[in-house]
Amino acid sequence: MTDSLKALIEACRNGEANYQDLVDRVPYARFLGIELLVQGEELTFILPRNENNIGNPTLPALHGGAVAGFMEQAAIIFILLEMGEPKVPKTIDFTIDYLRAGLFRDTFAECRITRLGRRIANVHISAWQKRREEPITIARAHFLLSEENN
Amino acid sequence: MDVCNRSLETVRHSRNLGMEVLSAEEDGVRVRLPWREDLVGNPDTGVLHGGAIFAMMDQAGGMANSCRLYPNFEITPTIDFRVDHLHAPTPGKAVICYASCYRLTPNVTFVRLTTWEEGEEEGEPVATGLATYTRMKLDKNGRVVS
Repeated sequence: MTDSLKALIEACRNGEANYQDLVDRVPYARFLGIELLVQGEELTFILPRNENNIGNPTLPALHGGAVAGFMEQAAIIFILLEMGEPKVPKTIDFTIDYLRAGLFRDTFAECRITRLGRRIANVHISAWQKRREEPITIARAHFLLSEENN
Repeated sequence: MDVCNRSLETVRHSRNLGMEVLSAEEDGVRVRLPWREDLVGNPDTGVLHGGAIFAMMDQAGGMANSCRLYPNFEITPTIDFRVDHLHAPTPGKAVICYASCYRLTPNVTFVRLTTWEEGEEEGEPVATGLATYTRMKLDKNGRVVS
């Protein structure tokens, strides 16, 4: 399966496959309805406004868990594309700060790898709705890339 | 318990995830998340997505606040939440989260959470969490007063 993942990533890079296919092979990403905007080699992740992700029905506001899951999945795909030998990274820890209410509208996320080691990656994820400069949440996560004991 | 189940009913995303309250007391709340094919994070292994586990734990934390505040009712938005994934849960198995509000201040609540595989609640947890929430008091009409 790892080979097919590598082949899919190659195909995405060559324009023979859609980056969205990388998202759609993950059942939970489809459950949330995650989409991807690719501009050159820049990726912006999109969580389109969807009633299924509502947490507070009176405001209405998105479920904090849906936003967190969206950001975690964004980071996983972002790292996958940075890895020489792509293998789905395992989340070690995920820490999120909620800065503003997630309104019932489209949410965007971008990732920045702070450190990509052989075994562990540290990623910063930022999500916004109105303007990139006004994030609704920021998160920091560590992922295990390889289980080799060397 | 009833209040928790009723409030969970209104949270569409949690309902969609198939969450269920197993017990609710002043000390803490137990919540169950089923294993489902559409919640899988790694299609090669069938392991539940960390995000689904996170969503359950965040929800459980919110309900731990409600239990501690009962019979009063406040909404408690999450300030920050950290989850550590200690090991991957077995594909096909539900997970259970126990959440407890261990400190309540006039403005902030502090919550600790532990998640196990169903049936392994005496054993090694699959995930632990630590969170803070802010307290927003409501008036008789359910509007935020502070």
